[in-house]
Amino acid sequence: MTEATLILVLVIGTALVFDFTNGFHDTGNAMATSIATGALRPKVAVALSAVLNLVGAFLSVEVALTVTNAVVKVQDSSGAPRSDLTADHGSALLLIILAGLVGGVLWNLLTWLVGLPSSSSHALFGGLIGATIAGLGTGGVNWNGDGSQLDGVLGKVILPGVVSPVIAGVVAAVGTWFVFRITAGVAERFTENGFRWGQIGSASLVSLAHGANDAQKTMGVITLALIAAGHWSDTGAVPFWVKLACALAIAIGTYIGGWRIIRTLGKGLVEISSPQGMAAESSSAAVILVSSHFGFALSTTHVATGSILGSGVGKPGAEVRWRIAVRMVLAWLITLPAAGSAGALMWWVGDLLGAYAGPLVVFLALVGLAAYIFVRSQRQPVHPGNVNDEWTGTPGRSTRQEAHA
Amino acid sequence: MTDNLGFAVEAAWKVLLSGLVIGAGLPALFAVGVRSLAWGTGGTAEVAVGARPHPAGRVLATACFAVVLAGIGLGLSIIVAAGQGKVVSFDHVYPTFVDEPK
Repeated sequence: MTEATLILVLVIGTALVFDFTNGFHDTGNAMATSIATGALRPKVAVALSAVLNLVGAFLSVEVALTVTNAVVKVQDSSGAPRSDLTADHGSALLLIILAGLVGGVLWNLLTWLVGLPSSSSHALFGGLIGATIAGLGTGGVNWNGDGSQLDGVLGKVILPGVVSPVIAGVVAAVGTWFVFRITAGVAERFTENGFRWGQIGSASLVSLAHGANDAQKTMGVITLALIAAGHWSDTGAVPFWVKLACALAIAIGTYIGGWRIIRTLGKGLVEISSPQGMAAESSSAAVILVSSHFGFALSTTHVATGSILGSGVGKPGAEVRWRIAVRMVLAWLITLPAAGSAGALMWWVGDLLGAYAGPLVVFLALVGLAAYIFVRSQRQPVHPGNVNDEWTGTPGRSTRQEAHA
Repeated sequence: MTDNLGFAVEAAWKVLLSGLVIGAGLPALFAVGVRSLAWGTGGTAEVAVGARPHPAGRVLATACFAVVLAGIGLGLSIIVAAGQGKVVSFDHVYPTFVDEPK
């Protein structure tokens, strides 16, 4: 295998691993509420969400190859890679993408271990920003856009990240308050059955929108790598096998289910009842789709978390565990720098070790760290059987308490 | 930087207002439908146990659920349109797919 083929294969493999973590990290965004309220059995919920993610991924007929343009300057506006990065089968660009993807995957796995929902797109963007700073300097980063529209790290990542959970929270709180007021006193057999269907319908819309939005990010990244390496030239289309592989990776990830995150979202933040579940998912679906309609890029995770918090605020007398909410916000704040540092470190390692060993060592570092995180997670596994148990603390926290004891 | 802040505030307002109408309005309407259904059934389903059934309740419930279903249909159409690089336009009152504005 030549050096050029090796790094391309590693980039594609890592991109699909990222897509897979994107799936299981975000299962909870759509399904945590339905699982917590018992509207759907855990296994049924993740299966439904997986199928809808798969369908959603195939609904992306026109895939934008310019996904990285929001944060880094490695492509022109047509989606073709910058010509100065494509010499030598694009190895300079491929190393940046590989290091960035590894940074994103590592952050996704670490936040999964401690059961915190954090945005997969922010992890990917963070990793890419870090690797780009390491490889091209700070001038390679699109910090602010050109001022003609909402763009750049500030406009496409930071501002939506600050604003969207608040919007979703307000919408969910208002919805929850109305639903409780309107149905006060109505017999439970009517409300429970009605809200069960309301939850399933709204959660399904969130799943479908997730598949349509998130799978195509990986499709765009893989196609960019193929163009840089000279194996694809059409900037207006994505190879079918890329679409299929990405759709399957995100669907399988969703089906595996990030049970640690589902538990935090469904049981940790708020004790959710059916009306709250329906109001929260309706708010998520509406905010995600309305933003997509207005071209406002946002993260499904931030919206879903904001909605669930809002449903706790809107129910009279409900308990909201603000300490967990604060931990989540802290995790969101350090997502970009943490994934970015990992991406930058990986780029330096890859660059130092040179064409053959560099990418291989970066990939092996990912495999090693992923295996370590998986082993750690097995000390206190969360699975469909215990996902709805009484809340006693986030997985990471109780592990530490055990260590002290 | 201030450009981005301005664009973000502008987009956030639009998302918040439409989000409230759709994301809080539709669940509220759904709740009205559930309540109407109980009202239409009467008996033990109602707030005041033993109330008479009101057939109008069923009609009202059906109307509420129909609007909610239309909302879901609109959501689906936004997903499908975005997948084809288009947006849903309301210029002709009823929704149509048009090319994304550049």
